[in-house]
Amino acid sequence: MKYLMLIYGNQEKWASIPAEEWPAAIAKQDAFNRKYQATGELIGAYGLADEVRAKLVRRENGQPAVTDGPYLETKEYIASFYLLDCESEERALQIAADMPWADVDPVEFWPIMHEAKPDM
Amino acid sequence: MSTGQGDVEDLLRELAPQVLAALVRRYGQFHLCEDASQEALLAAALQWPADGRPENPRGWLITVASRRLMDQVRSEQSRRTREELIAVATPQSELLGPPADAEPADRDDSLALLFGCCHPDLSSPSQIALTLRAVGGLSTTQIAAAFGVPEATMAQRISRAKQTISDTGFDFSLPPGAERTKRLRAVLHVLYLVFNEGYMATDGDALTVPALAQEAIRLTRWLHRLLPDDGEVTGLLALMLLTDARRPARTCPDGSLVPLAEQDRQKWDQAQIAEGIALISAALPRGEVGPYQLQAAIAAVHDEAKTMADTDWPQILGLYDLLERAAPNPFTALNRAVAVAMVHGPDAGLEVIATLAADKRMAQHHRLLAARAHMHELAGDTDAAAADYLEAARRATSPPERRYLTLQVTRLTR
Repeated sequence: MKYLMLIYGNQEKWASIPAEEWPAAIAKQDAFNRKYQATGELIGAYGLADEVRAKLVRRENGQPAVTDGPYLETKEYIASFYLLDCESEERALQIAADMPWADVDPVEFWPIMHEAKPDM
Repeated sequence: MSTGQGDVEDLLRELAPQVLAALVRRYGQFHLCEDASQEALLAAALQWPADGRPENPRGWLITVASRRLMDQVRSEQSRRTREELIAVATPQSELLGPPADAEPADRDDSLALLFGCCHPDLSSPSQIALTLRAVGGLSTTQIAAAFGVPEATMAQRISRAKQTISDTGFDFSLPPGAERTKRLRAVLHVLYLVFNEGYMATDGDALTVPALAQEAIRLTRWLHRLLPDDGEVTGLLALMLLTDARRPARTCPDGSLVPLAEQDRQKWDQAQIAEGIALISAALPRGEVGPYQLQAAIAAVHDEAKTMADTDWPQILGLYDLLERAAPNPFTALNRAVAVAMVHGPDAGLEVIATLAADKRMAQHHRLLAARAHMHELAGDTDAAAADYLEAARRATSPPERRYLTLQVTRLTR
């Protein structure tokens, strides 16, 4: 069963982290990623660019029509997402709780219901 | 004779374009020849370290690749047609076996191969991938790892590129005159992009991810041997060497970036700097000075300064003036603005930046924002500097850059 985990943040939040704490913070996340890649349960971990670089795309006359946005109501937006593949939801929830900052900020957790077949 | 694994790999990568060029010249069918020559390289990589290197490595590879090609052709559905095509395309004498000890007339063929991989019908990413595979001799797995994309994605990209080359028909005659200059410029641009990709990337696992900057230098060095009198080829090689020389000082062990001003210059590779300076010094007086030579000259001035304060900024500004005339582009203009600030003070630099920021896309680019932040800071306007660094961080395109810019905000607002 597959699960999506989301963590949120914004640039002001990153800027509040003192310089000397960055290497340890990054090492922690790297260690988490390696640990669950090794068990085969972490399919992928992706960090997103800032919301100012996000776009809205529509199709107009068969061509992409791109505008800035989404203009979010919330102050924090998706910073990273993680794809898990676990034997049980219980196990996936354990992994979510093992995320480095789950003691400070909640990890958003979504069961994945459907997946397009990878091979045609 | 036993041969080290590393030696074998170096030799194979050197021979890769020669083998492929020989095959394509003999049989046409770029797409199939490329597969066959990769398989021969792989066979050699497995056999030579154990069994020893054959007396004529190039002949061995061509023979094995030719056999693989025949196997492939036989197993294809349209077997008969293809065999006929090949039989027709093959001179009778060559069916008797390749003249393995013949003096290789490879110089122009290898060059034509490189020109072919940088064909104008291909997109930039395809040109890069195909060049690395067909000329650089890297495997699809390695190229995919270097660009951080799934192997299937890269395999598709390379396959489509090869098909395009096959469809247009591979042409071994190098284009004449102005067209040749234009195509050579495209080749240099591809090598430059490969180098930049490697230089900007944070170091991955060195065992599985090939060092693209090193690969770009190797290929440009090889091109420079083929075209020693071309000033821009020399200029590009010098630029790569002079830039790459700073690599040991450019990142902290934890992967964070160290800007030029704060680098420990003791760590710079002096041998590489000397080589780059010798190359560019020889090329500059020889005639028309193109953009790569000018960029190399600028890199040389930086590399020659013992400390940031020793930097000869007036000379750098003069070179940027020439560069802006030779190859106008917003990023050259931005770098020139930084030089203006260093020579005439931050306010003069900010004036130049203001004109560049008239272009909306440029105004939002993280490099412009970062440069302007730095000038505000030099001018003593900490608030404006912090605001620009924050906006630059939001628009940064790589995690190390974003982290560096974020830290500047932290430093200024603490």
